[in-house]
Amino acid sequence: MSKDSQMRAAINQKLIEMGERERLKELLRAKLVECGWKDQLKAHCKDVIREKGLEHVTVEDLVTEVTPKGRGNNPYRVTGHQCLIMHRYCKFLQILGQNHKRGG
Amino acid sequence: MASRVQLSGPDAVTTMSPAGCPHVNSFKVDNWKQNLRVIYQCFVWSGSAESRKRKAKSCICHMCGAHLNRLHSCLYCVFFACFAKKHIHEHAKNKRHNLAIDLLYGGIYCFMCQDYIYDKDMEQIAKEEQRKAWKMQGIGEKFSTWEPTKRELELLRYNPKRRRITSNCTIGLRGLINLGNTCFMNCIVQALTHTPLLRDFFLSDRHKCEMQSNSCLVCEMSQLFQEFYSGHRSPHIPFRLLHLVWTHARHLAGYEQQDAHEFLIAALDVLHRHCKDDNGKKANNPNHCNCIIDQIFTGGLQSDVTCQVCHGVSTTIDPFWDISLDLPGSSTPFWPLSPGGDGAALNGESHTSGATTLTDCLRRYNTSSFISVDVSSFALPFSSPDPIPPPPSLSPLVLHTRPFLPSHSHSHSPLTLPSPSNLVARWRHCVRLVIYLCSVFCYCYCCYHSL
Repeated sequence: MSKDSQMRAAINQKLIEMGERERLKELLRAKLVECGWKDQLKAHCKDVIREKGLEHVTVEDLVTEVTPKGRGNNPYRVTGHQCLIMHRYCKFLQILGQNHKRGG
Repeated sequence: MASRVQLSGPDAVTTMSPAGCPHVNSFKVDNWKQNLRVIYQCFVWSGSAESRKRKAKSCICHMCGAHLNRLHSCLYCVFFACFAKKHIHEHAKNKRHNLAIDLLYGGIYCFMCQDYIYDKDMEQIAKEEQRKAWKMQGIGEKFSTWEPTKRELELLRYNPKRRRITSNCTIGLRGLINLGNTCFMNCIVQALTHTPLLRDFFLSDRHKCEMQSNSCLVCEMSQLFQEFYSGHRSPHIPFRLLHLVWTHARHLAGYEQQDAHEFLIAALDVLHRHCKDDNGKKANNPNHCNCIIDQIFTGGLQSDVTCQVCHGVSTTIDPFWDISLDLPGSSTPFWPLSPGGDGAALNGESHTSGATTLTDCLRRYNTSSFISVDVSSFALPFSSPDPIPPPPSLSPLVLHTRPFLPSHSHSHSPLTLPSPSNLVARWRHCVRLVIYLCSVFCYCYCCYHSL
Protein backbone atom coordinates (compact mmCIF):
# COMPACT_ATOMS: atom_id res chain seq x y z
CA MET A 1 0.00 0.00 0.00
CA SER A 2 1.29 3.43 -0.85
CA LYS A 3 2.06 5.90 1.92
CA ASP A 4 -0.98 7.90 0.91
CA SER A 5 -3.39 5.00 1.30
CA GLN A 6 -1.64 3.96 4.51
CA MET A 7 -2.33 7.40 5.96
CA ARG A 8 -5.91 7.23 4.75
CA ALA A 9 -6.42 3.89 6.40
CA ALA A 10 -4.90 5.16 9.65
CA ILE A 11 -7.13 8.26 9.67
CA ASN A 12 -10.15 6.14 8.86
CA GLN A 13 -9.34 3.88 11.78
CA LYS A 14 -9.15 6.82 14.14
CA LEU A 15 -12.37 8.25 12.75
CA ILE A 16 -14.21 5.02 13.49
CA GLU A 17 -12.60 4.50 16.87
CA MET A 18 -13.52 7.92 18.16
CA GLY A 19 -17.01 7.72 16.75
CA GLU A 20 -16.34 10.83 14.70
CA ARG A 21 -17.10 9.05 11.45
CA GLU A 22 -20.69 8.44 12.54
CA ARG A 23 -21.06 12.03 13.67
CA LEU A 24 -19.71 13.42 10.40
CA LYS A 25 -22.00 11.11 8.47
CA GLU A 26 -24.97 12.32 10.48
CA LEU A 27 -24.01 15.93 9.87
CA LEU A 28 -23.69 15.35 6.16
CA ARG A 29 -26.96 13.45 6.08
CA ALA A 30 -28.80 16.27 7.85
CA LYS A 31 -27.39 18.90 5.49
CA LEU A 32 -28.25 16.87 2.41
CA VAL A 33 -31.82 16.49 3.57
CA GLU A 34 -32.07 20.17 4.43
CA CYS A 35 -31.00 21.37 1.03
CA GLY A 36 -33.33 19.03 -0.80
CA TRP A 37 -30.66 16.80 -2.30
CA LYS A 38 -32.16 13.67 -0.80
CA ASP A 39 -35.62 14.38 -2.18
CA GLN A 40 -34.26 15.06 -5.61
CA LEU A 41 -32.29 11.84 -5.66
CA LYS A 42 -35.25 9.90 -4.31
CA ALA A 43 -37.39 11.18 -7.17
CA HIS A 44 -34.68 10.12 -9.61
CA CYS A 45 -34.59 6.65 -8.07
CA LYS A 46 -38.33 6.34 -8.52
CA ASP A 47 -37.94 7.28 -12.18
CA VAL A 48 -35.30 4.60 -12.68
CA ILE A 49 -37.48 2.02 -10.96
CA ARG A 50 -40.45 2.95 -13.12
CA GLU A 51 -38.27 2.72 -16.19
CA LYS A 52 -36.74 -0.64 -15.42
CA GLY A 53 -39.82 -2.18 -13.84
CA LEU A 54 -40.18 -2.95 -10.15
CA GLU A 55 -39.72 -6.67 -10.63
CA HIS A 56 -36.46 -6.45 -12.50
CA VAL A 57 -34.53 -3.56 -11.04
CA THR A 58 -31.66 -4.33 -8.66
CA VAL A 59 -29.84 -2.17 -6.17
CA GLU A 60 -26.84 -2.21 -8.48
CA ASP A 61 -28.92 -0.70 -11.27
CA LEU A 62 -29.95 2.12 -9.00
CA VAL A 63 -26.43 2.70 -7.78
CA THR A 64 -25.08 2.86 -11.33
CA GLU A 65 -27.82 5.17 -12.56
CA VAL A 66 -28.09 7.48 -9.64
CA THR A 67 -24.46 7.90 -8.47
CA PRO A 68 -23.37 10.26 -11.27
CA LYS A 69 -26.33 12.51 -10.63
CA GLY A 70 -25.77 12.45 -6.92
CA ARG A 71 -22.11 13.35 -7.21
CA GLY A 72 -22.15 15.47 -10.30
CA ASN A 73 -23.35 18.92 -11.21
CA ASN A 74 -26.78 19.03 -9.70
CA PRO A 75 -28.42 22.28 -8.60
CA TYR A 76 -28.34 21.32 -4.94
CA ARG A 77 -24.64 21.79 -4.51
CA VAL A 78 -23.69 21.46 -0.91
CA THR A 79 -20.68 23.73 -1.09
CA GLY A 80 -21.49 25.72 2.03
CA HIS A 81 -22.10 22.58 3.97
CA GLN A 82 -18.97 21.01 2.59
CA CYS A 83 -17.10 23.84 4.26
CA LEU A 84 -18.74 23.04 7.56
CA ILE A 85 -17.96 19.36 7.28
CA MET A 86 -14.40 20.00 6.11
CA HIS A 87 -13.98 22.34 9.05
CA ARG A 88 -15.04 19.63 11.46
CA TYR A 89 -12.83 17.11 9.73
CA CYS A 90 -9.84 19.46 9.90
CA LYS A 91 -10.51 20.05 13.59
CA PHE A 92 -10.55 16.29 14.04
CA LEU A 93 -7.18 15.97 12.31
CA GLN A 94 -5.86 18.75 14.50
CA ILE A 95 -6.90 16.89 17.61
CA LEU A 96 -5.30 13.74 16.27
CA GLY A 97 -2.09 15.63 15.62
CA GLN A 98 -2.05 17.11 19.11
CA ASN A 99 -2.63 13.75 20.73
CA HIS A 100 0.23 12.38 18.73
CA LYS A 101 2.63 14.98 20.04
CA ARG A 102 1.81 14.28 23.66
CA GLY A 103 4.00 11.63 25.15
CA GLY A 104 3.25 9.12 27.86
CA MET B 1 -36.10 -6.26 -6.21
CA ALA B 2 -36.12 -9.83 -5.03
CA SER B 3 -39.23 -9.35 -2.88
CA ARG B 4 -42.70 -10.02 -4.16
CA VAL B 5 -45.15 -7.13 -4.36
CA GLN B 6 -48.86 -7.87 -4.21
CA LEU B 7 -51.49 -5.36 -5.15
CA SER B 8 -54.80 -6.43 -3.72
CA GLY B 9 -57.95 -4.53 -4.55
CA PRO B 10 -58.65 -0.83 -4.33
CA ASP B 11 -56.72 -0.10 -1.18
CA ALA B 12 -53.48 -1.23 -2.80
CA VAL B 13 -51.58 -2.19 0.31
CA THR B 14 -48.26 -3.64 -0.78
CA THR B 15 -47.11 -6.72 1.02
CA MET B 16 -43.67 -8.18 1.04
CA SER B 17 -43.19 -11.86 1.55
CA PRO B 18 -41.69 -12.68 4.94
CA ALA B 19 -38.86 -14.71 3.43
CA GLY B 20 -36.55 -12.48 1.43
CA CYS B 21 -35.35 -15.17 -0.91
CA PRO B 22 -35.21 -18.97 -0.75
CA HIS B 23 -31.42 -18.96 -0.37
CA VAL B 24 -31.41 -17.72 3.20
CA ASN B 25 -32.83 -20.96 4.48
CA SER B 26 -29.46 -22.63 4.58
CA PHE B 27 -28.25 -19.78 6.79
CA LYS B 28 -31.19 -19.88 9.19
CA VAL B 29 -30.03 -22.87 11.18
CA ASP B 30 -28.86 -23.41 14.75
CA ASN B 31 -28.14 -20.20 16.57
CA TRP B 32 -28.25 -17.97 13.48
CA LYS B 33 -30.04 -15.09 15.15
CA GLN B 34 -27.39 -14.63 17.79
CA ASN B 35 -24.62 -14.99 15.22
CA LEU B 36 -26.20 -12.32 13.06
CA ARG B 37 -26.57 -10.01 16.05
CA VAL B 38 -22.90 -10.39 16.86
CA ILE B 39 -21.97 -9.49 13.28
CA TYR B 40 -24.12 -6.36 13.42
CA GLN B 41 -22.76 -5.34 16.80
CA CYS B 42 -19.13 -5.88 15.98
CA PHE B 43 -18.78 -4.84 12.39
CA VAL B 44 -21.73 -2.81 11.22
CA TRP B 45 -23.15 -0.68 14.01
CA SER B 46 -20.60 -0.61 16.75
CA GLY B 47 -21.93 1.20 19.77
CA SER B 48 -19.30 0.73 22.44
CA ALA B 49 -15.81 2.18 22.25
CA GLU B 50 -14.32 -1.30 22.36
CA SER B 51 -16.30 -2.65 19.46
CA ARG B 52 -15.50 0.50 17.50
CA LYS B 53 -11.82 -0.11 18.04
CA ARG B 54 -12.19 -3.69 16.92
CA LYS B 55 -14.16 -2.62 13.88
CA ALA B 56 -11.59 0.00 12.93
CA LYS B 57 -8.77 -2.51 13.07
CA SER B 58 -10.36 -5.50 11.41
CA CYS B 59 -12.60 -4.07 8.74
CA ILE B 60 -10.33 -4.20 5.78
CA CYS B 61 -10.47 -6.32 2.66
CA HIS B 62 -8.80 -9.68 3.17
CA MET B 63 -7.69 -9.65 -0.41
CA CYS B 64 -6.43 -6.16 -1.07
CA GLY B 65 -6.32 -4.44 2.31
CA ALA B 66 -8.47 -1.48 1.34
CA HIS B 67 -11.15 -0.16 3.67
CA LEU B 68 -13.16 1.66 1.04
CA ASN B 69 -14.93 0.08 -1.96
CA ARG B 70 -18.09 -1.02 -0.13
CA LEU B 71 -16.72 -3.60 2.24
CA HIS B 72 -18.86 -6.68 2.78
CA SER B 73 -18.58 -9.52 5.24
CA CYS B 74 -19.38 -13.10 4.39
CA LEU B 75 -22.20 -14.42 6.55
CA TYR B 76 -20.85 -17.96 6.69
CA CYS B 77 -17.25 -17.30 7.66
CA VAL B 78 -14.98 -14.54 8.85
CA PHE B 79 -14.06 -12.96 5.57
CA PHE B 80 -14.16 -9.27 4.64
CA ALA B 81 -13.79 -8.16 1.07
CA CYS B 82 -14.53 -5.30 -1.28
CA PHE B 83 -17.76 -5.28 -3.19
CA ALA B 84 -16.77 -2.74 -5.77
CA LYS B 85 -13.68 -4.70 -6.75
CA LYS B 86 -15.68 -7.95 -6.78
CA HIS B 87 -13.41 -9.56 -4.19
CA ILE B 88 -16.36 -10.74 -2.14
CA HIS B 89 -17.91 -12.20 -5.28
CA GLU B 90 -14.83 -14.34 -5.80
CA HIS B 91 -15.05 -15.60 -2.26
CA ALA B 92 -18.72 -16.41 -2.66
CA LYS B 93 -18.06 -18.37 -5.81
CA ASN B 94 -15.10 -20.30 -4.44
CA LYS B 95 -16.57 -21.19 -1.10
CA ARG B 96 -20.22 -21.37 -2.18
CA HIS B 97 -21.04 -18.89 0.59
CA ASN B 98 -23.89 -17.08 -1.06
CA LEU B 99 -24.74 -14.46 1.57
CA ALA B 100 -22.82 -11.34 2.53
CA ILE B 101 -23.59 -8.27 4.61
CA ASP B 102 -22.79 -4.68 3.70
CA LEU B 103 -20.66 -3.27 6.52
CA LEU B 104 -21.72 0.27 5.80
CA TYR B 105 -25.50 -0.03 5.67
CA GLY B 106 -26.23 -3.52 6.99
CA GLY B 107 -27.97 -4.78 3.88
CA ILE B 108 -27.90 -8.50 3.12
CA TYR B 109 -26.73 -9.47 -0.36
CA CYS B 110 -27.57 -12.80 -1.97
CA PHE B 111 -25.16 -13.88 -4.71
CA MET B 112 -27.67 -16.27 -6.18
CA CYS B 113 -30.37 -13.64 -6.56
CA GLN B 114 -27.68 -11.08 -7.41
CA ASP B 115 -29.37 -8.41 -5.39
CA TYR B 116 -29.95 -7.23 -1.83
CA ILE B 117 -32.73 -9.14 -0.14
CA TYR B 118 -35.15 -8.12 2.56
CA ASP B 119 -35.80 -10.96 4.94
CA LYS B 120 -38.26 -9.90 7.62
CA ASP B 121 -36.54 -11.65 10.53
CA MET B 122 -33.13 -10.37 9.53
CA GLU B 123 -34.48 -6.85 9.06
CA GLN B 124 -35.95 -6.99 12.54
CA ILE B 125 -32.60 -7.92 14.04
CA ALA B 126 -30.84 -5.23 12.01
CA LYS B 127 -33.22 -2.54 13.23
CA GLU B 128 -32.87 -3.56 16.86
CA GLU B 129 -29.07 -3.60 16.70
CA GLN B 130 -29.00 -0.24 14.99
CA ARG B 131 -31.20 1.29 17.68
CA LYS B 132 -28.99 -0.21 20.39
CA ALA B 133 -25.86 1.28 18.81
CA TRP B 134 -27.45 4.72 18.45
CA LYS B 135 -28.45 4.66 22.07
CA MET B 136 -24.94 3.72 23.16
CA GLN B 137 -23.42 6.46 21.07
CA GLY B 138 -25.79 8.96 22.63
CA ILE B 139 -27.53 9.72 19.34
CA GLY B 140 -30.84 8.50 20.73
CA GLU B 141 -33.79 7.84 18.48
CA LYS B 142 -33.42 8.72 14.84
CA PHE B 143 -36.01 9.03 12.15
CA SER B 144 -36.89 5.81 10.39
CA THR B 145 -39.59 5.27 7.82
CA TRP B 146 -42.91 3.96 9.01
CA GLU B 147 -43.57 0.28 8.54
CA PRO B 148 -47.08 -0.79 9.50
CA THR B 149 -47.50 -3.41 12.18
CA LYS B 150 -50.04 -6.22 11.85
CA ARG B 151 -52.60 -4.27 13.84
CA GLU B 152 -52.06 -1.17 11.71
CA LEU B 153 -52.49 -3.19 8.53
CA GLU B 154 -55.80 -4.47 9.89
CA LEU B 155 -56.95 -0.94 10.62
CA LEU B 156 -55.95 0.14 7.15
CA ARG B 157 -58.02 -2.62 5.61
CA TYR B 158 -61.05 -1.84 7.76
CA ASN B 159 -60.83 1.83 6.83
CA PRO B 160 -60.32 1.93 3.08
CA LYS B 161 -60.81 5.68 2.64
CA ARG B 162 -57.46 7.33 1.82
CA ARG B 163 -56.36 10.92 1.72
CA ARG B 164 -53.76 10.94 -1.01
CA ILE B 165 -51.30 13.63 -1.90
CA THR B 166 -52.05 14.00 -5.58
CA SER B 167 -50.75 16.70 -7.83
CA ASN B 168 -53.90 18.77 -7.47
CA CYS B 169 -54.75 18.26 -3.83
CA THR B 170 -54.80 21.21 -1.47
CA ILE B 171 -53.31 19.72 1.67
CA GLY B 172 -51.01 22.25 3.26
CA LEU B 173 -52.87 25.15 1.66
CA ARG B 174 -55.49 27.15 3.42
CA GLY B 175 -56.90 30.63 3.27
CA LEU B 176 -56.82 32.99 6.23
CA ILE B 177 -59.60 35.25 7.40
CA ASN B 178 -58.73 38.90 7.86
CA LEU B 179 -59.62 39.78 11.45
CA GLY B 180 -59.48 43.52 10.92
CA ASN B 181 -56.38 44.90 9.18
CA THR B 182 -54.54 41.68 9.93
CA CYS B 183 -53.36 41.00 6.40
CA PHE B 184 -49.84 41.90 7.53
CA MET B 185 -50.00 38.91 9.86
CA ASN B 186 -51.71 36.65 7.36
CA CYS B 187 -49.04 37.05 4.71
CA ILE B 188 -46.31 36.25 7.20
CA VAL B 189 -48.25 33.22 8.43
CA GLN B 190 -48.53 31.99 4.85
CA ALA B 191 -44.80 32.45 4.37
CA LEU B 192 -44.03 30.54 7.56
CA THR B 193 -46.32 27.63 6.76
CA HIS B 194 -44.62 27.33 3.38
CA THR B 195 -41.17 26.98 4.92
CA PRO B 196 -40.34 23.28 4.51
CA LEU B 197 -37.90 23.10 7.40
CA LEU B 198 -40.38 24.67 9.77
CA ARG B 199 -43.16 22.45 8.49
CA ASP B 200 -41.04 19.34 9.00
CA PHE B 201 -40.17 20.44 12.52
CA PHE B 202 -43.78 20.87 13.57
CA LEU B 203 -45.28 17.93 11.73
CA SER B 204 -42.76 15.63 13.37
CA ASP B 205 -43.77 16.86 16.81
CA ARG B 206 -40.36 18.16 17.74
CA HIS B 207 -41.62 20.82 20.10
CA LYS B 208 -41.85 19.75 23.73
CA CYS B 209 -43.53 22.49 25.64
CA GLU B 210 -42.59 23.29 29.18
CA MET B 211 -44.54 26.47 29.57
CA GLN B 212 -47.14 26.22 32.28
CA SER B 213 -49.73 28.57 30.90
CA ASN B 214 -51.43 28.30 27.53
CA SER B 215 -49.45 31.17 26.13
CA CYS B 216 -46.74 29.34 24.22
CA LEU B 217 -46.53 30.72 20.71
CA VAL B 218 -44.64 27.67 19.47
CA CYS B 219 -47.53 25.44 20.52
CA GLU B 220 -49.89 27.74 18.69
CA MET B 221 -47.64 27.53 15.63
CA SER B 222 -47.80 23.75 15.86
CA GLN B 223 -51.57 23.94 16.02
CA LEU B 224 -51.52 26.20 12.97
CA PHE B 225 -49.67 23.59 10.94
CA GLN B 226 -52.20 21.00 12.02
CA GLU B 227 -54.94 23.27 10.72
CA PHE B 228 -53.17 23.82 7.43
CA TYR B 229 -52.59 20.13 6.86
CA SER B 230 -55.97 18.96 8.07
CA GLY B 231 -57.38 18.95 4.55
CA HIS B 232 -60.12 21.42 5.44
CA ARG B 233 -60.89 23.73 2.59
CA SER B 234 -62.59 26.46 4.58
CA PRO B 235 -60.43 29.43 5.51
CA HIS B 236 -58.79 29.34 8.90
CA ILE B 237 -59.47 31.99 11.52
CA PRO B 238 -56.23 32.66 13.37
CA PHE B 239 -57.74 34.48 16.34
CA ARG B 240 -55.73 32.60 18.96
CA LEU B 241 -52.51 33.34 17.15
CA LEU B 242 -53.41 37.01 16.91
CA HIS B 243 -54.23 37.16 20.59
CA LEU B 244 -50.95 35.49 21.55
CA VAL B 245 -48.98 37.87 19.38
CA TRP B 246 -50.74 40.83 21.02
CA THR B 247 -49.89 39.42 24.44
CA HIS B 248 -46.21 38.97 23.68
CA ALA B 249 -45.60 41.88 21.36
CA ARG B 250 -47.56 44.78 22.78
CA HIS B 251 -46.47 47.21 20.13
CA LEU B 252 -48.44 45.27 17.56
CA ALA B 253 -51.64 45.07 19.56
CA GLY B 254 -54.72 46.74 18.23
CA TYR B 255 -56.52 46.68 14.92
CA GLU B 256 -54.38 49.16 13.07
CA GLN B 257 -52.39 48.31 10.03
CA GLN B 258 -48.91 47.15 10.84
CA ASP B 259 -45.72 46.48 8.97
CA ALA B 260 -45.44 42.86 7.91
CA HIS B 261 -41.68 42.82 8.34
CA GLU B 262 -42.00 44.14 11.89
CA PHE B 263 -44.50 41.40 12.58
CA LEU B 264 -42.08 38.79 11.26
CA ILE B 265 -39.28 40.06 13.46
CA ALA B 266 -41.53 40.17 16.53
CA ALA B 267 -42.98 36.72 15.84
CA LEU B 268 -39.59 35.12 15.29
CA ASP B 269 -38.31 36.72 18.46
CA VAL B 270 -41.16 35.36 20.56
CA LEU B 271 -40.91 31.94 18.91
CA HIS B 272 -37.17 31.90 19.59
CA ARG B 273 -37.76 32.73 23.24
CA HIS B 274 -40.44 30.10 23.64
CA CYS B 275 -38.29 27.55 21.87
CA LYS B 276 -35.59 27.48 24.50
CA ASP B 277 -37.02 24.38 26.05
CA ASP B 278 -36.44 22.36 22.90
CA ASN B 279 -32.71 22.47 23.33
CA GLY B 280 -32.65 20.37 26.44
CA LYS B 281 -29.57 21.30 28.35
CA LYS B 282 -28.22 23.86 25.91
CA ALA B 283 -28.42 27.35 27.32
CA ASN B 284 -30.33 30.01 25.46
CA ASN B 285 -27.27 31.93 24.40
CA PRO B 286 -28.15 34.69 21.94
CA ASN B 287 -24.86 34.26 20.15
CA HIS B 288 -25.17 30.58 19.58
CA CYS B 289 -28.73 29.40 19.89
CA ASN B 290 -29.68 26.08 18.44
CA CYS B 291 -33.45 26.41 18.35
CA ILE B 292 -35.23 25.72 15.11
CA ILE B 293 -35.96 29.40 14.58
CA ASP B 294 -32.32 30.37 14.73
CA GLN B 295 -31.32 27.38 12.66
CA ILE B 296 -33.61 28.47 9.86
CA PHE B 297 -33.73 32.23 10.10
CA THR B 298 -30.19 33.35 10.87
CA GLY B 299 -27.45 33.84 8.40
CA GLY B 300 -23.94 35.18 8.43
CA LEU B 301 -22.71 38.11 6.44
CA GLN B 302 -19.10 37.50 5.56
CA SER B 303 -16.89 40.51 4.92
CA ASP B 304 -13.46 39.94 3.44
CA VAL B 305 -11.01 42.79 3.53
CA THR B 306 -8.04 42.15 1.29
CA CYS B 307 -4.78 44.02 1.62
CA GLN B 308 -3.54 45.02 -1.81
CA VAL B 309 0.07 44.76 -0.73
CA CYS B 310 0.42 41.45 1.08
CA HIS B 311 -2.88 39.92 -0.13
CA GLY B 312 -3.72 38.92 3.41
CA VAL B 313 -7.44 38.45 3.93
CA SER B 314 -9.20 39.43 7.11
CA THR B 315 -12.63 37.87 7.47
CA THR B 316 -15.47 38.84 9.76
CA ILE B 317 -18.78 37.09 9.92
CA ASP B 318 -21.67 39.08 11.31
CA PRO B 319 -24.89 37.27 12.10
CA PHE B 320 -28.01 38.72 10.58
CA TRP B 321 -31.67 37.93 10.78
CA ASP B 322 -32.77 39.76 7.68
CA ILE B 323 -31.33 41.82 4.88
CA SER B 324 -33.03 44.41 2.76
CA LEU B 325 -32.64 43.90 -0.94
CA ASP B 326 -33.07 46.61 -3.51
CA LEU B 327 -35.61 46.11 -6.24
CA PRO B 328 -35.17 47.28 -9.82
CA GLY B 329 -36.28 50.78 -10.64
CA SER B 330 -33.72 52.37 -8.34
CA SER B 331 -31.62 54.99 -10.03
CA THR B 332 -28.24 53.35 -9.74
CA PRO B 333 -25.92 52.56 -12.62
CA PHE B 334 -25.18 49.09 -11.29
CA TRP B 335 -28.59 47.65 -11.69
CA PRO B 336 -28.66 45.00 -14.45
CA LEU B 337 -30.74 46.19 -17.35
CA SER B 338 -32.64 44.13 -19.89
CA PRO B 339 -30.52 42.01 -22.26
CA GLY B 340 -27.80 43.91 -23.97
CA GLY B 341 -27.29 46.27 -21.03
CA ASP B 342 -24.01 46.54 -19.17
CA GLY B 343 -25.47 44.79 -16.19
CA ALA B 344 -25.90 41.52 -18.02
CA ALA B 345 -22.15 41.16 -18.20
CA LEU B 346 -21.81 42.06 -14.52
CA ASN B 347 -23.85 39.07 -13.47
CA GLY B 348 -22.24 36.80 -15.99
CA GLU B 349 -25.54 35.48 -17.28
CA SER B 350 -28.13 36.66 -19.74
CA HIS B 351 -31.45 37.98 -18.55
CA THR B 352 -34.80 37.35 -20.10
CA SER B 353 -36.77 40.49 -20.88
CA GLY B 354 -36.03 42.50 -17.73
CA ALA B 355 -37.27 39.84 -15.30
CA THR B 356 -35.35 40.05 -12.04
CA THR B 357 -34.76 37.04 -9.83
CA LEU B 358 -34.03 36.82 -6.13
CA THR B 359 -30.53 35.75 -7.07
CA ASP B 360 -30.07 39.01 -8.96
CA CYS B 361 -31.10 40.98 -5.88
CA LEU B 362 -28.71 39.02 -3.69
CA ARG B 363 -25.85 39.48 -6.16
CA ARG B 364 -26.58 43.15 -6.30
CA TYR B 365 -26.50 43.26 -2.51
CA ASN B 366 -23.17 41.53 -2.47
CA THR B 367 -21.54 43.74 -5.05
CA SER B 368 -22.72 47.07 -3.69
CA SER B 369 -20.49 47.17 -0.67
CA PHE B 370 -17.50 48.85 -2.22
CA ILE B 371 -17.29 52.56 -1.80
CA SER B 372 -15.80 54.99 -4.18
CA VAL B 373 -15.92 58.76 -4.01
CA ASP B 374 -16.70 60.91 -7.05
CA VAL B 375 -14.88 64.07 -6.20
CA SER B 376 -15.73 65.58 -9.55
CA SER B 377 -19.38 65.95 -8.58
CA PHE B 378 -18.60 68.36 -5.76
CA ALA B 379 -18.14 72.01 -6.68
CA LEU B 380 -15.20 73.97 -5.27
CA PRO B 381 -16.16 76.70 -2.81
CA PHE B 382 -12.98 78.60 -3.64
CA SER B 383 -12.49 81.54 -5.96
CA SER B 384 -11.48 79.34 -8.88
CA PRO B 385 -13.98 79.91 -11.72
CA ASP B 386 -13.57 76.56 -13.37
CA PRO B 387 -13.94 73.34 -11.47
CA ILE B 388 -10.64 71.52 -11.14
CA PRO B 389 -10.89 68.05 -12.70
CA PRO B 390 -9.77 65.24 -10.43
CA PRO B 391 -6.34 63.81 -11.15
CA PRO B 392 -6.49 60.63 -13.22
CA SER B 393 -5.04 58.52 -10.43
CA LEU B 394 -7.93 59.30 -8.14
CA SER B 395 -10.80 58.74 -10.55
CA PRO B 396 -13.33 57.27 -10.89
CA LEU B 397 -14.33 57.41 -7.27
CA VAL B 398 -18.05 57.24 -6.60
CA LEU B 399 -19.64 57.54 -3.15
CA HIS B 400 -22.70 55.43 -3.06
CA THR B 401 -24.72 57.43 -0.60
CA ARG B 402 -28.18 56.40 -1.71
CA PRO B 403 -28.61 53.70 0.96
CA PHE B 404 -28.04 56.29 3.64
CA LEU B 405 -30.60 58.79 2.44
CA PRO B 406 -33.77 59.15 4.51
CA SER B 407 -36.04 57.98 1.68
CA HIS B 408 -34.41 54.56 1.73
CA SER B 409 -34.29 53.58 5.38
CA HIS B 410 -37.66 52.87 6.92
CA SER B 411 -37.61 52.83 10.69
CA HIS B 412 -34.06 54.04 11.28
CA SER B 413 -33.00 57.64 11.60
CA PRO B 414 -31.07 58.91 8.61
CA LEU B 415 -27.32 59.26 8.86
CA THR B 416 -25.55 62.52 8.38
CA LEU B 417 -22.41 62.38 6.35
CA PRO B 418 -19.73 65.04 6.25
CA SER B 419 -20.90 67.83 3.97
CA PRO B 420 -19.46 68.03 0.46
CA SER B 421 -17.62 71.25 1.26
CA ASN B 422 -15.65 69.53 3.98
CA LEU B 423 -14.63 66.92 1.51
CA VAL B 424 -13.51 69.42 -1.06
CA ALA B 425 -11.70 71.61 1.46
CA ARG B 426 -9.12 68.90 1.78
CA TRP B 427 -8.86 68.44 -1.95
CA ARG B 428 -5.33 69.79 -2.37
CA HIS B 429 -3.80 67.45 0.13
CA CYS B 430 -4.01 64.05 -1.49
CA VAL B 431 -2.60 62.16 1.45
CA ARG B 432 -5.06 63.73 3.82
CA LEU B 433 -7.81 63.08 1.30
CA VAL B 434 -6.93 59.41 1.21
CA ILE B 435 -6.91 59.22 5.00
CA TYR B 436 -10.19 61.06 5.13
CA LEU B 437 -11.70 58.75 2.56
CA CYS B 438 -10.61 55.76 4.61
CA SER B 439 -12.26 57.18 7.67
CA VAL B 440 -15.40 57.88 5.65
CA PHE B 441 -15.24 54.30 4.47
CA CYS B 442 -14.92 53.01 8.02
CA TYR B 443 -17.65 55.31 9.20
CA CYS B 444 -20.00 54.18 6.47
CA TYR B 445 -19.04 50.56 6.97
CA CYS B 446 -19.76 50.63 10.68
CA CYS B 447 -22.93 52.58 10.30
CA TYR B 448 -24.16 50.45 7.45
CA HIS B 449 -23.81 47.45 9.66
CA SER B 450 -25.55 49.08 12.54
CA LEU B 451 -28.59 49.74 10.36
